Amino acid sequence: MAYSEKVIDHYNDPRNVGSLDKKDENTGTGLVGAPECGDVMKLQIQVNPDTNEIVDAKFKTFGCGSAIASSSLATEWVKGKSIDEAMSIKNTEIVEELSLPPVKIHCSVLAEDAIKAAISDYRKRSEG
Amino acid sequence: MASEHTSCQSCGDSLISPLFCFSCNSLQTVSDDIDHFKVMGLPHCFEIDSEELENLYQRLSLGMHPDFFGEAPEKQKLLSEKSSVMLNAAYSILREPSSRARYLLLLLAREKNLQTDALPEGFLQEMFIFQESLDEMLESGDQSALCKMNEDLQNRHTFNESNYGALFKKFENSPENHEILQQLQTQLNAERYLRRLLDRINSE
Repeated sequence: MAYSEKVIDHYNDPRNVGSLDKKDENTGTGLVGAPECGDVMKLQIQVNPDTNEIVDAKFKTFGCGSAIASSSLATEWVKGKSIDEAMSIKNTEIVEELSLPPVKIHCSVLAEDAIKAAISDYRKRSEG
Repeated sequence: MASEHTSCQSCGDSLISPLFCFSCNSLQTVSDDIDHFKVMGLPHCFEIDSEELENLYQRLSLGMHPDFFGEAPEKQKLLSEKSSVMLNAAYSILREPSSRARYLLLLLAREKNLQTDALPEGFLQEMFIFQESLDEMLESGDQSALCKMNEDLQNRHTFNESNYGALFKKFENSPENHEILQQLQTQLNAERYLRRLLDRINSE
C-alpha cells in the first residue's frame, strides 16, 4: 500500500507522542478504538481554563501508519484552538491533508472521535 | 433452520450444495446472493462438522474446477470460475470459528440494530495497557514476559471462542432475545483487539 509522503513523515517523526497527567483537572483524555482492525488511540489535551484554549496535546496510538499519522496530525491541529474550534475538526479534513485512501478513512474517523472524547472528558471533569 | 433441498437442474437428483450436482457432474446456475452456509448446504448454525465441511469442499473444488471446463462452452467456463470463487469464499469463512461466528452474527443481526462497536467495560483501557507493556517487553527483549503474555492472550482467545457455540445455541432457543446477539457482537469486537496484540507479539 502506498502511504502518502505526509503519512510517512508523521510515522517517522510523530509530533506530540506522550502523556499528560490524567489527574490534572485541566486535562482531558480520550481513548478510542476501531473495531474493524483493533487500533487503539489515546489523545490527551491540556486546556487553559481561563481562555478555554487547548495549550498542549499528546497522543499514543497502537495501529497502522495512517492511524498514527491521523492522531499525530490531530494533536498538531488542536493546539492553539479553542475547545469549540477543536470540536469542529472533521475527519474529512484529515483525509485530505494526509491523502488517505478509502480503506484508511476509518483512521481519520478514529482521530476525530479521539478529539471529541478528550474534550468530552475535560468538560465532564471540569464541571464535576 | 433446515437446509433447503434443491434438485439438479439437469437430472433432478437432490443436491448437497446448490452449486454442483455430483450425480451428473453438472454446474448449477445460482443466484448471486446465496449465503456461505447455503453454499455448503448447511443451516444457519454455529456448530458444524469440520471434517464434513472439508470433505465437501474438496469434492466441490474438484468437480467445479475451471481446469476441467477448459474445452467447455463459454457459459460453462464462466460458471465454473464464478462458482469456484463462491465456494472458496464460503469455505474460508466457515472453516474458522471466529470468522464463522462473525458471519453468522451478520446474518442473524440484520435489522436488529445492534451496537456494532460495543466493548466490555474497561476493555479498551486494558488493551492500551497491554500494548504499552508489550512496547516495554519488546524494547527490553524480555522473552519470558513475552511468552507469558502470549500464553495469557491465547488462553483468553480460546476461552472466548469456546463461548460462541453456547451463545448461538442460547439464541436458537430464544430468538426473541436480542441481548444474546449483542453479547456476541461485544465479544467479537473484543476479539479483534486481542488478535491485534497476538499478531504483534508473534511477528516480532
